[in-house]
Amino acid sequence: MVAGSKRTPENVLPHLHQIIQAVFSGKKVSGDMTAIGLVLSSAGLTLFRALLGFVVGAVSGFILALLMKLSGFVEKLLFPYLMLIQLIPVLGLAPIILSVTGDINVSRVVIAGILSFYPVATNTLSGFKAVEKDKYDLMFVYASKPRELYTKVLIPSSLPYFFTGLKIAAPMAVTASILVDTLQGDGGLGCILSQSLKHAMSIYVFWIIVFVSALIGILSSKVIGWIEIGVSPWKRTGKRSRKVRT
Amino acid sequence: MDEKRAVEIRTRNLGVTFKDNQGRDVLALTNVNLEIYKGEFIALLGPSGCGKTTLLRCVADLQQPTEGDLHIQGMTPKEVRLQKKFGFVFQQPVLFDWRTVKKNVELPLEIMGYTKKERSELADEMLEMVGLKDFAKHYPKQLSGGMQQRANIARALGLKPDILLMDEPFSALDEFTKEKLHEDLLRIWRETNKTILFVTHSIQESVFLSDRVCVLSPHPGRLSAVVDIDLPRPRSLDMRDEPHFNELVAKVRNSFEGGSV
Repeated sequence: MVAGSKRTPENVLPHLHQIIQAVFSGKKVSGDMTAIGLVLSSAGLTLFRALLGFVVGAVSGFILALLMKLSGFVEKLLFPYLMLIQLIPVLGLAPIILSVTGDINVSRVVIAGILSFYPVATNTLSGFKAVEKDKYDLMFVYASKPRELYTKVLIPSSLPYFFTGLKIAAPMAVTASILVDTLQGDGGLGCILSQSLKHAMSIYVFWIIVFVSALIGILSSKVIGWIEIGVSPWKRTGKRSRKVRT
Repeated sequence: MDEKRAVEIRTRNLGVTFKDNQGRDVLALTNVNLEIYKGEFIALLGPSGCGKTTLLRCVADLQQPTEGDLHIQGMTPKEVRLQKKFGFVFQQPVLFDWRTVKKNVELPLEIMGYTKKERSELADEMLEMVGLKDFAKHYPKQLSGGMQQRANIARALGLKPDILLMDEPFSALDEFTKEKLHEDLLRIWRETNKTILFVTHSIQESVFLSDRVCVLSPHPGRLSAVVDIDLPRPRSLDMRDEPHFNELVAKVRNSFEGGSV
């Protein structure tokens, strides 16, 4: 069922059932790989780099938010530049990073990191800023040390915001990683994506990739949500148990 | 009541001036002279803008006086705060969502460096006192407003502070919950014998709870009268129907400068 590379309206925008059939088709599209096999093995390559970049971005985003909270000077100094980096289109940023690092795998990590970093940093920072004055006053009356203010109040308060940042960042990291793939022809989802678009491969491969990447994006966000619930027992109990009255 | 009593908190010509948005000076509180005895229940009563919360915050070292001075047990508020002798109950419960009720009560004890066992025992004791023993493992969001405020009080009591500062703690609660908490608070006060400063804008509440009502008037905030409340202790809710209670309420109401509020 996997058609050749000749473009007709039918195979530029195939029916959904044709795409699903292509997923389960055993026909080889590249060497000895079936369409779905090719997509999944490329996805593995792309996803692993995306995940690495995502973790790097999330950790550095959190640390930077903490630094910006600790010092208003750091915030004033860094925030405009963070926004500036965010404003450069990935399409423009990717070749720059590639030429700097000289390695496509490192570039994938770096780009995914840069994209994850901003939503995590801004959300976490607003989490720190959302802590009510009463909580500071409370800790002040108890003569707590600054370190205790952070570990016992500010950091736990910021966690829901941090996770919101992660949920935004995760699909972005995946998308960015796919985009970087398109720059160089050595595998990855983006690479076969552009090949299938340029008639070098079945159009079904293109559509499978579109659906698979969408699925990965949704899943990545979901997984973050599950992790959040996993580490926050107070959120688990909220819905099911009823409120107790005096 | 007549034996020689130790003065716990003394203010002399206490005044606080704020800067408003335009940088103009606003006199929030002026010329407050007050002596509060150890173990006394003092109500700070007044309409909004009278400086009652400002006075409380000065005691807690959350606000610096700009005139006069304030001493607690002969020390400055800062010294007393650093010795962790204050319990503070805010208008809002200010509980931490990610901690169970018991862990919330343990928070000040953690800061004080108590061991895990001591913390747990003290927290259990305080939760028992406010009637939340069965809800120790609940999270704040699972509790009603009244129960959250009880947890807040339990937390303030955990350190066994000499002085309990309460900033309109019951104003956001319904009348039934409020009455229940009034009785509980008086019982806890009797059992622990703390000095309590209780900020409120309810005349009835101030008369029912306190030994003395400090009446503050606004513009500028000042202490306009101190009314002795000679209702017998322990107090019960039906005392509110007695003529003497209403006389006292009227006396307090008439002591606002510029007539009734």
